[in-house]
This record gives sequence, structure tokens and C-alpha cells, in this order.
Amino acid sequence: MVSYLARTLVQLAITLVGIVTVVFFLMRAIPGDPALYMLGDFATEASVEALRARLGLDLPVYQQYLLFMQRALTGDLGQSVVTGQPALREILSALPWSLSLAVTGLMIAVALGVPLGILSAIRQGTWVDVTIMLVALIGISFPVFWVGLVAILLLSHQAGLFPALGAATGGGFFTQIHHLMLPALVLGLSVAAYIARLTRSAMLEVLGQDYIRVARAMGVRENRIFFRLALRNAFIPILAVIGVTFAWALGNAILVEVVFSRPGLGSTVLKAILARDYQLVQAGVLVLATGIVLVNLTLDILYGVIDPRMRTGS
Amino acid sequence: MDQAATDLRKTEDQRPGPGRTKPVLELRNLVTQLPGEDGPLTIVNDVSLKVLAGETLSVVGESGSGKTMTFLSAIGLVPKPGRVVAGEVLLDGADLLKLTPDEMRETRGTGISMVFQDPLTGLNPVFTIGEQIAEVLRAHGSVSRTEARETAIGLLERVHIPDPGRRVDDYPHQLSGGMRQRVLIAMAIALEPRVLIADEPTTALDVTVQAQVLELLAELRQDFGMAMVLITHDLGLVARHADRVAVMYGGRVVEYGSAEAVFEHTAHPYTVSLFESVPSLDAETSDDLRTIEGQPPDPASLPAGCAFEPRCFFGQGREECKTILPKRATASMADHRTACHFYAELDTKRSCA
Repeated sequence: MVSYLARTLVQLAITLVGIVTVVFFLMRAIPGDPALYMLGDFATEASVEALRARLGLDLPVYQQYLLFMQRALTGDLGQSVVTGQPALREILSALPWSLSLAVTGLMIAVALGVPLGILSAIRQGTWVDVTIMLVALIGISFPVFWVGLVAILLLSHQAGLFPALGAATGGGFFTQIHHLMLPALVLGLSVAAYIARLTRSAMLEVLGQDYIRVARAMGVRENRIFFRLALRNAFIPILAVIGVTFAWALGNAILVEVVFSRPGLGSTVLKAILARDYQLVQAGVLVLATGIVLVNLTLDILYGVIDPRMRTGS
Repeated sequence: MDQAATDLRKTEDQRPGPGRTKPVLELRNLVTQLPGEDGPLTIVNDVSLKVLAGETLSVVGESGSGKTMTFLSAIGLVPKPGRVVAGEVLLDGADLLKLTPDEMRETRGTGISMVFQDPLTGLNPVFTIGEQIAEVLRAHGSVSRTEARETAIGLLERVHIPDPGRRVDDYPHQLSGGMRQRVLIAMAIALEPRVLIADEPTTALDVTVQAQVLELLAELRQDFGMAMVLITHDLGLVARHADRVAVMYGGRVVEYGSAEAVFEHTAHPYTVSLFESVPSLDAETSDDLRTIEGQPPDPASLPAGCAFEPRCFFGQGREECKTILPKRATASMADHRTACHFYAELDTKRSCA
């Protein structure tokens, strides 16, 4: 287990370095100059050059990269060129808004998607199964920003159940929760559809295994077979799905944030890209990637809890 | 059950003569079909068999002859969308096909139980073997956790698993193939069923382990007075373990009788071909090993006459074989039945040879 953890941590580090490197060069491959952006259209050539020199943008790209990596290792991701604040602090202050949205959305998705997927599998071929899968297909097919707009129209504008926009950044806890509910629901529904479909196929796969037929041949009740003998096996792929969908949920959370005008990583990183705020984009991507990698690490450990074959490392 | 009752049952069951003929499990004219593109495919075709208490019935035949499907039909586990369309499955005289699904479920494990071919995939990988045995016990009555554990340890001991107190908490992947088959047998006999169906229980195992598992089955059959069905294509096993033999071909039983009758007075050309295709250590040259030419019949296009006719060395070309489905006839002795038009000539030929 210890060597397994050590190996995973090394892989984690390599993954993060890789991601940051790709983002570093991608950003610099996009046309546009942060110095020019900051100084505006009427800046003189000399002042632009001076600012470029101050930001270190006059150096060759590989030197910029080495400098960046050197600083990043000490935890310094540079300053936002727009606000002058440390980039990491800017990102970390936006993170809770996105994280609360993604986590709430994912919880709704799991609470809906897993039971519906199981129900669909054990009623395979019946109208229950067909209906659930049809709804799930529709759920996957509609883009989340469209669902968000429709939800605002119906549930906020017409029914008046939820506030349409914003996150009540200055409001109390319950006001904030109230503002969170609609975007989380929109996010959750799109992910739930995905989870339901994958849960169904995981469950069907397990129900076709020999040990299920053995249990039937010994007279074990169908309910026990579904909810105990099969489900614990099906949870292994379901967990993997939840890990993948967490990344998906974070990505969709960014779209949902834009639709609902919520603060968060989405709007922060979007603004940073438009301003060619290299440092802020890099910090944002690094934090997101770290989050996703950590979630998958947690799931790897959970596999060991569910699947005894992983525990002994054989 | 107390000792006296066990003894009583044993003596009753092992009494020779007419008293023994009351079957524990009897299949009567069983027909099972799968839906096919051009109408239903009959994969179990008018099968009638008897299994007596304390006896082993061996069911032999090539892959696809309907051996396994016959007994999945008997325990109500025909894979969908297949279904039993006609016949009776009598367990101690009561027709299982008339039971409600929950009554049938209750009967599985307590009245009739089945052990399958592949022990490597037969155990649930995420539960300990103790938990899996407990699951069977719990399906047929309420037992406490400690009771279930105690019973599980007892059963593991019963199937000769060393150190059962420790093994009970093992997961399947920690056991060898032979051990896993023993665990599956322990689950199958946990509630002392009247009939145990063993579907090629040793095919996936090492030769040395095969013998041990079969010995175990024979021992359990004796001790519990169970009736046993041994589905196999290994005629060596049949010779050693069977009291009665049923030979299946194309979904039908083509020959059925006591082991002695079937071995000594073989009355169906397919059975003869099966015997001739067994490799023998005494054979002087490899020429002595014969194979059966051709392919097993396709259930989608069965001939009007005998299904074995296209491959038969014996009746080749005769009009009856091609057009008329052979009826079951009594061969050498009572309870020895064959489905061949010309079995009488076959018997003569064999004795002359």
C-alpha cells in the first residue's frame, strides 16, 4: 500500500508538470501581448517594450519557462498582470464558489443517476428501462448552458422559485444556498444522465456474471442479488465513472457559472485568457488539475476498500 | 437431522430392488425453446429422465447436445428469452414447473441445487467465502451472523478445506481452483438438497484435483443420501461414478439405462461412436482412436428423421433413418431405452465383433 501510494504520488507530480507545461506554451502560442493589452491602443512602442522587459516577456520562451518552473517549485506562481495580486491567491479565492457548485451538482447527479441506473438495469427491456434511458439520452444531448437558460426562464422567471442570477456573494449562508440550488440542479441533471447510463451498463455487466447465476441456483432472493451481491461489484466501475464525471462537472460548472453570472474559476480564468494574463491562467489550470488528480487518487484508495483483489496488491 | 433418521434414510435409499425405483427427480417430456429467426429453436426436445435417491445419473453428449439446458430448465434458470414450453419436472412427485417464482426460488438450494463448470468465475470476488455461504443460508431462513459463520466453517470442514476457521474469511482470489470448487460445493449442499446437479464440475480443474473433487461428491452423495446428476463428456468419469447413464444428442435423450446396460449392451450407434472416441492406454496404435465425422446438429435445421443419421456409421442411407423419428424402445432390459430403429442389429454386431 505504501509503495502503491508513493508510485501514485510520483505519477501525480509528473501529470501536473505535464499539464502546466502544455498550458504555458499554449498560452504563449495564442496571438496577443499582455503588455499591449494593459497599456491600451495608444501606448508608445517604448512604453510597451519597457513593460515587456519588466514582465520578463522579452526573454526567449524557453528561458521564461525555466524561470516559471523554478519559481513554481517554491510555490510562487507569479502575479496577475491585471490586478497585481499573487495569481494563486486570486484563484484560491475564486475556488470555493466553483467547488461548492461542482460538489453540490455532483451529489445531486450521484443521488439521481446511480439509483436510476440500477433501476433501469434490473428492469432491463421494460418500459421503466426505456423511459429512463430515453430521458438520460435527452439529458446528455442538451448542452448545459441551454438547460441553464431554460431553467432560468421556467423556474426563476415564470415560477419565481429561485433567483436567476448571481451568487449572493455578500449574503448570508441561506441566501447563498438559495442562489446555489438552481445552478447546482442544472449541473447535476446533465451529469446524472451520464452517470445513469454508465451505472446501468456496469450493473448489467455484473448481472451477467457466473457468480450471479450461482447465487440464483442456490435460491438467493432477487433483491439480495441486485442490491448486495451485484451492487458491490458494480460500484467499482461506478466509482470510476464518478471520478471521470468530477472533471466533467468542474468543466460544466464553468459554463454554468457564466450562464448564472456567478463568481468562480470559470469567470476568473475566462477573463484571464482574454487579457492574456498568463500567470493567472497557469495558476487556474494548475489548481483545477490538482483537484481532479486528487479526486482520482481518493477513488483509487476507495477501490481498495471495495475490491479485495486490489488490497493484497496481487 | 439426528443419526437414527439419517441411518433410516440411508437404508431405505440403498435398498436394492423395486423399492429403489421411486425417483427423487423425474423429468417427463421436457421441451425448452429459444426464439429464433425462423420460429422457435427446440434445444431440449422431449427429454424424460429419472434420478433415484443415492444414485448418480451421468448425462453425456457433445457440447450443444442440450445437457446443461435440460437441467437449467429443471431448476427454472433457463437464460432469457428461452423458456420451458412443455413437460413436467417432478421433485419427489411434485411438479416444479407449476410453482410460483418464489416457491421455485425456495426450492433451489433446499430441494435441488447446482454446481457449475468454472469455479474461477463462480464465486463473487468482493465477498469472503464465509459471507457467500451465509448468503445461501439466509436465503432459506433467518440465521444470526455468528450462527451463519459457525455453519459456514462446518461446511468448509465438510468439503475438506484445511483450516476452515481461517479460510472462512478468505476472498475467492486467495483460493486455488480446486478449493473454490469445494466452496461452491459447500454452498450447494449447505441446506442438504435432495438432488445435486454437477455440471462438468471438474472440466476446469487439474487432473489430480479432478479426482479429489469427484471423490468428495461421491462421499457427500452417500452421506446425505442425495441423488446426483453428473453432466460430463468424460466417459472415464461415467464408468467410475455413474449408476445410470443418459446419452444426449441434438436436444434428445438417445439412450438411457443403467451404467451396466449402456456399457455392456450399447444400443445406440451414437453411444458406440462416443466410446470409440475415448483414447485408451492399451491401444496399440493411434489408429484405434476414432473421431465422429461431421458436426453436431444445428437446432435450426433438424432432419425429419434421426438427428444422428448424417453422421451415423451404422444406418447410413436407410430410408427409415432419414424420414422417421425413432421412437424410444426398450433395449436389452427393462429401463434401458434407446432411440434407434435398428438397435437390435447393433447389439448383435457388437457382440459378434
